[in-house]
Amino acid sequence: MNVSLDKQYLPSERYKRHAAYLSVLALVIIGLCTYFKFEPLLFITDFHYMADLVVEMTPPNFEVLWRKEKIFISILQTLSMAFLGTLVGSTVAMGLAFLAARNTTPHPTVGVIVRTLLAIERVIPSLVILLLFLIAVGLGPFAGMLSLAVGTVGMFGKLFANAIEGAEKEPIDAVYSVGASKLQVIRYAVMPQVLPSFIANLFYAFDINLRAAIGLGVFGGAGVGYEISMAMRLVRYRDALALICFTILLVFVVEKLSDWLRSRALGQDLLK
Amino acid sequence: MKQNVSWTYSSYRRKQTLRNWTVMLATFFCAYWAGISCKVDLDALRAGIPKGIEFISYLFPPDWTAFADMAMPALETILLAFLATVLGAFLSLFFGLAASSNIAPRWLRNLSRFLLATERSLPEIVILLLLISALGLGPFPGVIAMAFGCIGMLGRLFSDAIEEINPATLESIESVGARKLQVIAYGVLPQVLPSLLSNTIFRFEVNIRLSVLLGAVGAGGIGFQLYYSFQTLQYQRATTAILITLLLVFLSERLSNSIRKKLSQEAKL
Amino acid sequence: MIEVRQITKSTKEGVPILKGISFTITKGEFVGILGPSGAGKTLTMRCLNGLTRPTSGEVLFTDHQNNLVNLTHAKGRELRKARRQIGVIFQGFNLVKRLSAIDNVMIGQLGRINLLRSLFYGFTDDEAMRALAVLEHLKIAHLAQRPVGSLSGGEQQRVAIARAIYQQPSVMLADEPIANLDPTNARKIMQILKPLAEQMPIIGVFHQPDLVMEFCTRIIALKDGVVVRDGDNKMTRSELIDLYGAELSEIEASQRILQPV
Repeated sequence: MNVSLDKQYLPSERYKRHAAYLSVLALVIIGLCTYFKFEPLLFITDFHYMADLVVEMTPPNFEVLWRKEKIFISILQTLSMAFLGTLVGSTVAMGLAFLAARNTTPHPTVGVIVRTLLAIERVIPSLVILLLFLIAVGLGPFAGMLSLAVGTVGMFGKLFANAIEGAEKEPIDAVYSVGASKLQVIRYAVMPQVLPSFIANLFYAFDINLRAAIGLGVFGGAGVGYEISMAMRLVRYRDALALICFTILLVFVVEKLSDWLRSRALGQDLLK
Repeated sequence: MKQNVSWTYSSYRRKQTLRNWTVMLATFFCAYWAGISCKVDLDALRAGIPKGIEFISYLFPPDWTAFADMAMPALETILLAFLATVLGAFLSLFFGLAASSNIAPRWLRNLSRFLLATERSLPEIVILLLLISALGLGPFPGVIAMAFGCIGMLGRLFSDAIEEINPATLESIESVGARKLQVIAYGVLPQVLPSLLSNTIFRFEVNIRLSVLLGAVGAGGIGFQLYYSFQTLQYQRATTAILITLLLVFLSERLSNSIRKKLSQEAKL
Repeated sequence: MIEVRQITKSTKEGVPILKGISFTITKGEFVGILGPSGAGKTLTMRCLNGLTRPTSGEVLFTDHQNNLVNLTHAKGRELRKARRQIGVIFQGFNLVKRLSAIDNVMIGQLGRINLLRSLFYGFTDDEAMRALAVLEHLKIAHLAQRPVGSLSGGEQQRVAIARAIYQQPSVMLADEPIANLDPTNARKIMQILKPLAEQMPIIGVFHQPDLVMEFCTRIIALKDGVVVRDGDNKMTRSELIDLYGAELSEIEASQRILQPV
């Protein structure tokens, strides 16, 4: 036989190599765990605490959902934060995207500046933004909504800008060639091309923001997230479970609804 | 061409305008009520902006001496995210297989998909609150909460990737007399490995961001330092924590992007 | 040896596709199954290794050790045991695209080796060398380490044949093995299969009457779910016209276009 396998391709060698990789990974994990006194086994040994909690939480006290007006308002607040955060954030993001995209920017320098700002904004954790707004406008849903809006700008500014840059060049040239101004080109050649992706991302942003609104509510003192954390802190576990169940249902339903609206909006190429 | 006789540009235009106005009015209506329930207060915002700017000036200069204190928490955050990603990805592999129609029986697939969807609608912070009330504060509940989040997202992505595998390939492995587990090891895993790795690495990036938030609730790490410094009004120390967080997020994004670019080239085969 | 006794198969709605097919294949035969599309050729093949269960009738399979297995009723362990004796080559090659050629060949032994060992890709060097020898026999040993997805169709089909040979089956099934290949490669694959048939009987579904007449030892013709002809490897033109009807001109036309000059 004149053909042979490379040494590294022999099953025995491959076996040894993989075993080496895996044991290094295992060693790193075990080493780190012991260094931080972190014991994954706790999950098994302490499991009875979880079981205790489950016992304490059941049956969920669903009465809390309609007996307290506050809860109802908090749910509305969560939805409103997500809705307004998405609306304001994506509007601003759209505007910035046209400034940032290379083919629509009024001046290359403006484009570079906006892109850099968006990149910086994107890495700032949402918690920091929220804390800043809490100091500026005080505890409550408004701060949460503003930080969601800022987060949306970071998340979608770049996405929108990429969509605009990805627009086909031929229609743009065609509209220019009839003597249209830059704004007219954006209105008649760019917008129709990028609108479907804008709309799809709008709904996507809403889904993300709804979840974030629940999470940020814990810190922002508003919304259903805050109510859950309060219920937990006050050791009213049965109320908490009812709220959690309701939250899951809410997110579920809203997601389905936004899926449906999106497919309708995209199917009819709305707003053209 | 009979059906086009009644078509005129003005009626088409009118229909479109009507639709646009309906959408816009509905949006404004929703926004108005959302604004009321959110307690939107533009005066407060106007008054708040100078307050915020003044506050930002308190943040500077960063407390450079705190860097030494923050090194360990930063490392802890990376470790938290790493462990959670490894654990979550490992578990989500099983959920992913159980949620794939070409591997699992129908009832198991539907059950797993339902569980994954339920998990995804529950924010990680709520899971963390639950775990904290059961297990107390500390990094351990944080890891478990993030791992849960991993399972929800990765399990779904894995099963989507697995369902895309050509069933004929799996059948051909079955035809040599292989067992189900062997079919998974030889037909499924090698095919989904690149997308599996790239999603896992993306999730690591998400987990780094998430661990800041979860840390603030009590999972430790840099997030806890950040929140604690804010709460105790040590703003310059908080700036240090913010800078370190930015660095972590930035580096994890870079790392994940470069690795994923490589993986996607490999996956093109 | 494989014996097919009066198998029938209906769709879920009760439409019969196979209407009682019987034949016996013994050592040394290279059987070509011909027939117009929709005749039930592929379904018959799927019944032969238990990927599809016939509605009625039996498929009896005798392995090397003269054990008789009834494939129609075999389940789990018994079915797997029978399947490792039956090599299959598919039209779409059906290889694991991201694994290397040699790994794909070694998949052929999965039915034989220890489960735990196989889950960790624990092949031995000997097994790898044997797989390489099979690849070399098919003249593609130089591609052994390449991922299969990067190979051409003809090369992929050779890897698939190598997998089936490596499996050491007592009978080989080929479901349209050359349908996706150009005429030159199709002929080369037939040239590989022909000598192989002396070691193990081969049953293949084909769309090329001329290649079948040239290489096979026996032709079974299917039409509308029944065997209309079972005999030697010579079919006259009028027989072909009877079998294929209008489809024949299409087949001939495609062959004329693709014929290497």
